[in-house]
Amino acid sequence: MAEIKNYKVAISPHKLDSDTTRRLMLDVIIALLPCLVCGVLFFGLYALLLVVICTATCFVSEQIYNLLRKKPLTFDLSAVVTGLILGLNLPARAPWYIPIVGGVIAIIFVKMFFGGLGKNFANPAATARVFLLLAYGSVMAKYIGADISGNFLADGTTSATYLGGGVSALAGNFFGVRGYWGNVLQLFFGYVGGCIGETCVPAILAGGAYLIARRVIDWRIPLVYLLTAAFMTLVCFQSAGEILLQLFSGGLMFGAFFMATDYATSPKWKINRILFAFGLGVLTVLIRRFGSFPEGVSLAILFMNLLVPVMDRYLVPVRFGQQTKSGRPKPQIMKWLMRGLCVAMALVLAIAVPVMAPAEWREYKNSRTEVEIPASYEYVRSFSLDAFGNFYFDTEDSLQVPGGQEVKFTIGIGTDYLVSDIVPEEQSDRYTAELSLFLHKSYSQISGLQGDLNTGATVVNTSLKNMILECYKVINDSGYANRNYPVRDAYAYVDSHARAGFGGEEIFGVSSTITIREGVQQDLKFIVRLADGKVSSVLPVEQSGRWQASLALFLGKTYAEVAAISDLQAPGAGADGVVSATKTNTALKNMILECFLASDLNADAYTVGSAEYVQAAGASALFGGVSFLAGGEAYLAEYDYRQPLAFYINLAEDRVANIIPITQSTVGFTAELSFFLGKTRAEIFALTDLGTGDATSSATRMNTALKGMILECFDLLENFAGGDAQ
Amino acid sequence: MVTFANGIHPKGCKELSGDQAIGRGPDPQFLYVPLTQHIGAPAQPAVGAGERVKRGQLIARAAEGLSANVYSPVSGTVQGVVQHITQSGKKRDHILIENDFSDESVSLPPLGEITGGSVLSRIAEAGIVGMGGAAFPTAAKLNTGEKKVDVLVVNGAECEPYITCDYRIMLEYAPEIVKGVRFAMLACGAERAVIGIEDNKPDAIRTMSGAAEGNVSVKRLKTKYPQGAEKQLVYSCVKRVIPEGKLPADAGVVVVNVHTALAIYKAVAENTPCYERVMTVSGKGAERPCNIWVKNGTPYRDLAEFCGGSEDCARIVAGGPMMGDPVFSLKVCTGKGSSSLLFLSESECESKSASVCIGCGRCVAACPMGLSPVFIERALFDKNYEEAKWYGAESCIGCGCCSYVCPAKRFLVQSVKLAKKTIKEKGL
Repeated sequence: MAEIKNYKVAISPHKLDSDTTRRLMLDVIIALLPCLVCGVLFFGLYALLLVVICTATCFVSEQIYNLLRKKPLTFDLSAVVTGLILGLNLPARAPWYIPIVGGVIAIIFVKMFFGGLGKNFANPAATARVFLLLAYGSVMAKYIGADISGNFLADGTTSATYLGGGVSALAGNFFGVRGYWGNVLQLFFGYVGGCIGETCVPAILAGGAYLIARRVIDWRIPLVYLLTAAFMTLVCFQSAGEILLQLFSGGLMFGAFFMATDYATSPKWKINRILFAFGLGVLTVLIRRFGSFPEGVSLAILFMNLLVPVMDRYLVPVRFGQQTKSGRPKPQIMKWLMRGLCVAMALVLAIAVPVMAPAEWREYKNSRTEVEIPASYEYVRSFSLDAFGNFYFDTEDSLQVPGGQEVKFTIGIGTDYLVSDIVPEEQSDRYTAELSLFLHKSYSQISGLQGDLNTGATVVNTSLKNMILECYKVINDSGYANRNYPVRDAYAYVDSHARAGFGGEEIFGVSSTITIREGVQQDLKFIVRLADGKVSSVLPVEQSGRWQASLALFLGKTYAEVAAISDLQAPGAGADGVVSATKTNTALKNMILECFLASDLNADAYTVGSAEYVQAAGASALFGGVSFLAGGEAYLAEYDYRQPLAFYINLAEDRVANIIPITQSTVGFTAELSFFLGKTRAEIFALTDLGTGDATSSATRMNTALKGMILECFDLLENFAGGDAQ
Repeated sequence: MVTFANGIHPKGCKELSGDQAIGRGPDPQFLYVPLTQHIGAPAQPAVGAGERVKRGQLIARAAEGLSANVYSPVSGTVQGVVQHITQSGKKRDHILIENDFSDESVSLPPLGEITGGSVLSRIAEAGIVGMGGAAFPTAAKLNTGEKKVDVLVVNGAECEPYITCDYRIMLEYAPEIVKGVRFAMLACGAERAVIGIEDNKPDAIRTMSGAAEGNVSVKRLKTKYPQGAEKQLVYSCVKRVIPEGKLPADAGVVVVNVHTALAIYKAVAENTPCYERVMTVSGKGAERPCNIWVKNGTPYRDLAEFCGGSEDCARIVAGGPMMGDPVFSLKVCTGKGSSSLLFLSESECESKSASVCIGCGRCVAACPMGLSPVFIERALFDKNYEEAKWYGAESCIGCGCCSYVCPAKRFLVQSVKLAKKTIKEKGL
């Protein structure tokens, strides 16, 4: 027998559960990861930066406090959890100092001042968030939408959340699912404005399920919280359809799983937890419905935190075998009360929702919201929107035909801005409008209809065309068709591109830098508006105070006219000023020309799949045919330099009609466009000698790159032969 | 399946010794038979130094009040009444017997007519105490006086991890246990008996069901700690709640352990008094985990030698790992209530230091008595015993569930027990 020695004496129990404080905190961190990943996917790396700053602030401030108080450093990860939760509760474009202020408030003021881990009476993250909301209201209410397809939904607006802005903050269309369920899915998947971690419900549910399965959190709190919120929504909003919208919006899901379940600030007894969660649900919906804040989760959590000590002191579990003074078993009143409450709420929901939902759904489908017409119009008499965001118009016209003829149509335009319905209410029996000319067509297709209208009922067709175009104008004027276009990498100057409706103004933000003289640089920024193919306004945002651009040179001019301006001298300027203002004007001219090209590419854009060079393509109004925006680079071996290249390439009648350089070499190795102009694909493919006589191999490389781009344009053109305009 | 509220699910670890049939234990040369193997007053020595005793001979007589007879487990020579260390760390009177290995034995006189009264007096005479661990004199328990008892609950739950002695007894002595249960029913006047067995011992359930018939039935219980605690067991078996501060008899129930039932059978039918018991020696720190008949008064060192302690034994526990006492000396001897001796390796009982309470409430969720250990501990630190009482400190059964689940590894059960003791001392 081996000698038994060195054994230890320790008190019972001798076996302990494997969970430790640090393990539990680690579990919460693991559960928060899906939210973090989705937040970064939706809102970009800046969101990750915010969360990292917040977590680091929390961790570091706790250690600094420990050092100041001469206490041992703590590595139980609880500060990391607080930092993560607070970070995920911040708007995705909050300034960098917001997480620092919030982290210090949460850790130092709420947690450490009250004795550290487990002793704080209020949830640190929720308190810090409420503080930030009050102290930095405008910043904290600034949400951006999810950045999934390269488009921010309503960037920087304050009403981008469902709670703040109602249904208008939603797209009404989620990857083809329209209307109510589109809204629900959009909220569910987090394709909306909101805080970094709170929008994506599947991620929250995944984390929550993990915590519940690991028994880190009590399932009662999130479940009863959500149940109560659903019940209260039904009561306060008198609507069954509102339930899912409320549950999936704002911080409710995130709060229910990650904030309400905070150990120190939630009750210890499971029955009290039900009461706690019930109070949270009631308060949250009451604040949302009747309060002056759009969101109530943090406030509700904060308020219920204050009640926890009282609940823990006076509502204690009935002990096993506990007797009343009269010697009877003590009744478990709280337990049955809370069970009854939950069952009652679930019953009401189970009965009311199936009864209310179909009626609401019918009403929802048929509901049309009359929209006030922003001005008086020639044909349009009324304008309404249905629940799915489709547009409906009543139009009428008097036709100039012998004997006169009144025509009335109801015209529907879908959320895709294609004509969806034309219902003739009144027209001649003999000369009926040819509806198929217009149905499922876009604005630009209809405005381009000319000879096709001669079907024997030309007058009524022409009238219908005008009416439909006016419908689009109403949509424009009401602001429903404003749109942000993607900004392509190949643009040299254009920073932003938006459209105020169909055929309406297009607004560009452009910028460039010029060298006034050796060592003196000047940044230029302008807002350029184009309307009806002409420059309608140019607004300087940033330029030299002395050598200012001559805006009058460009106003009211078309692309061709701007391109033809050769005299860019600023009138009435001094000797030096003339030169400098000319540089400004030259830069502005180039910027305006690029605006025209960007506008042209997006007017009737084609879908470009993955291509090596081509970034955008569309039917060209400037030159006819199809235009392409191609970007790439050429390696200039002599200078060991990668020269970025961008060209606007126009193909018409299977030949290269136009090539407009946007970015290319400025030191003499410009591409030789004459090699390519007017040639077919086969001819260009056959080109082998791309050298330009005197030039070095650098120009040759430039030409070779351009050849590749043009060939890719031809290849894509074949794909577009089917005509899949967006 | 009916079970009690809350509780925990520690790993059973019963596979270490569960397959080991009950064998003979060590036959030590010197036995220190404790005079206090039971709750109550120490027994009075009935033999003197140099006197020769046989196995089964009375060596100490029960004192007045709550006490129990003590019998010699071997034949040999009494060396005298000596002070010897006990599990609690205090020195108590033991009768030191030197074994002569001749194994001469005497029996109790035959009982004659079997009635409730005669069985009860035989149980008292044989020195039988509760063998589940508490060692409460069984005769006193069965003699409920004016309280009417209708159900005898037999504890075969064995909810502590590692321990398998009751399990082996149920497999190997099922008919004897059932007969012992019937004697106990006779003694306490119960009309029926329920044998509660946790469902992690399906073959024990099968064997006992085969042996039990009529008014003795077997109840399958959920595997959950502390299923074998008296109040929890009664609730699980017969759905009766024992009021706070009262005895099972107040709910019409008496609880005995299966091993006690076997001892009753031996005393009544075989005229053998209680001087040895089955113990489990287990744990990864023991080379040969086993279930063995151990004579009362066997030093732990003899058990360790018999089973072969290994080098990585980090902790020795008398009893189960949840409630068992830590062993500080292998000189300590076994008694009637010693159910097991565990040699735990480092991996089985990593010691952790306590950190601050994070308020997770797991202790409240785990407490089978419905107490709030977290608040009792806070009240104790505030010396606010009224508050500790409000949160139920007096009702603590010391099962250790709160300490087991605590992620901060706080010494909750000790705090609650201290609060309970202080409340009692202060008479609040």
